[in-house]
Amino acid sequence: MNAGETCRSCRLRWEESRVSDYGVSHGACRVDVFAFLQLLARLEARRCLKDIEPRLFAEDEGPRHGDVEPWRDLYLCVSGKTELLYHLLCRCVLPEAAGGLEVDALFVDTDYSLDMLRLVSILDSRLSSAGLEEAALRSSLSRLLVVHCSSSSQLLLTLHYLETTLNSRPSLALLLIDSISAFYWLDRCEGGASISRQEEKLSKCAELLGRLLRDYKFTIFATCHTIRRSCSGLAASRSSTLEADRPYLCRPWQRLVTHRVLCSRQEAENHTAGGSREEKRQVFRVHCSSSSSRTKASRISSFCVTDAGVQFI
Amino acid sequence: MVGLQEGMCPGLDGGLLRSLLAADVKTVEDLVSSDLEEVAQKCSVSYKALYAIRRVLLAQHTAFPVSGADLYDELLSSTAIISTGNPSLDKLLDSGLYTGEVTELSGGPGSGKSQVCFGVAVHVSHQLKQRVIYIDTTGGLTASRLLEMLQSETSDRDEQMEALQRIHVFRLFDAYSLRDRLSTLRSGGLLQASGGGSVKAVIVDSVSAVISPLLGGKQNEGMSLMIQAALALKTMAKDFGVAVLVTNHVTRGGRGEVQPGLGASWSHIPRSRILLERTDRAPSGCSSTLRSATLIKSSRQPCLIKEELDLQWWSRSERRSSGKRKRDEADS
Repeated sequence: MNAGETCRSCRLRWEESRVSDYGVSHGACRVDVFAFLQLLARLEARRCLKDIEPRLFAEDEGPRHGDVEPWRDLYLCVSGKTELLYHLLCRCVLPEAAGGLEVDALFVDTDYSLDMLRLVSILDSRLSSAGLEEAALRSSLSRLLVVHCSSSSQLLLTLHYLETTLNSRPSLALLLIDSISAFYWLDRCEGGASISRQEEKLSKCAELLGRLLRDYKFTIFATCHTIRRSCSGLAASRSSTLEADRPYLCRPWQRLVTHRVLCSRQEAENHTAGGSREEKRQVFRVHCSSSSSRTKASRISSFCVTDAGVQFI
Repeated sequence: MVGLQEGMCPGLDGGLLRSLLAADVKTVEDLVSSDLEEVAQKCSVSYKALYAIRRVLLAQHTAFPVSGADLYDELLSSTAIISTGNPSLDKLLDSGLYTGEVTELSGGPGSGKSQVCFGVAVHVSHQLKQRVIYIDTTGGLTASRLLEMLQSETSDRDEQMEALQRIHVFRLFDAYSLRDRLSTLRSGGLLQASGGGSVKAVIVDSVSAVISPLLGGKQNEGMSLMIQAALALKTMAKDFGVAVLVTNHVTRGGRGEVQPGLGASWSHIPRSRILLERTDRAPSGCSSTLRSATLIKSSRQPCLIKEELDLQWWSRSERRSSGKRKRDEADS
């Protein structure tokens, strides 16, 4: 392992030595060295989600600690992004015996859109294919925390409170926000004519998340709705596609984002299910690009949605 | 945004509030996100006192995390599936309208959206004996039509009247009153409006009639109103365990394909969407009551499945036999 690597243990070891120097020399520091080391011990336990979905992210470009990913569906209708979000969530909370990562996740539901029944049916089918029972479902579900927010102020305050949750649950490694753009129009209207007032809340949220990511090293996935329809429909030309998914959220948020995943729905294709019945199945295309300073990489993959959730093809 | 007020929490007295306001800390968010050390110096109060206030305010105003397991248990005990009374529609919706969810019917003029709404209202109030809130924004609801539908269900006049009483109608003709009514219903008015007894379905026919005139142009007030109404509907559905049914108009996309109205931002709101269309099979001359219904968004069923829907279903006297005949015809 070399020094430039983002490997968790290297980075932590480096930070640990720096922190203890800092604590000794800097008298004004409010937190004593002991508390800091304890904090680092907690960080050590927080798991890196680099291999959360190898089929989605380009090789060696999986989300590391401190990454944020928003995605948006390019075309409306059945949102492939919700399914993708459930897929990643399941991967996190499932026990290792069922191919999961066994970490805690916090789901911030700003749209009131979390479909628990759907989530449970995905979990259930994955658990039963691994031969696990009802008890495993309960323990998987207890690894998930859900928060409903109904305004951007509440979202901001809830994110402030997140720090307490992060401290008390060292295995919390994933924060999902569905969706970060839910209050976009409300904020725009409330802010009146001044753009900075319109974007104030989300900017504050983004700044806070930036700080938390730095201090606690977890991963955030956020969804972002398309707010414009691409006018030329599914066979959109490249330029109008870009126009439709131009980022519209505030700058601090854009700066926070390291990977962008774009979901789009392809034309439904016919395929033979079980050899007997022709069934229409929808195929979704995801385009994942990372905009980190290290490298520019992108990867395109496709998936379809089945009873057991997302299946990559 | 929550403004700071005297007595909001212990320790926040008039003197402190004035100095906080002078230091430009006006809302709870300001206080929570500010650098407490700086504020403590500016207002010359102790850091400890401010820290305690911040903690209490945070605890008061944040949404608390709920464990997924508890949420699932609660959902299992509270979710009900409300049959629409029409087998083909139930089949599309995976056996009916789910409480806690928003379901949308979209279709052009004359595609039967309102008729479906009437049918659902009558079915829920008469067959299931549950209360219904019907928000009519087009003036299309007439009591006589409901009565007509009820008369085909039962000939008992008392039963008809009882069923009608369980349908509570609000007539609202602009987006502001729709938003205000929904907010009132959400903040507890739902229980009062129904005069006790639980409401199981809220129907808004049509949501697009009042909102679409406000959309477009450069101003974003229309969008804001739409999202406010949507949030009110969603939170009401979740908090009170009611099924919400809304109707929407349709527009044509760039390539002439039919798509539900109200644009991309609204498309994230309903959990299930059904597109109603007239069928081509209708014999010329007479107006057919057959419609085709396509499921265009769902989290439970494969999308784009199509069913044939008979609007007459709800006002049939001998529903079982005639329905069977209809299906046999369709099969042959």
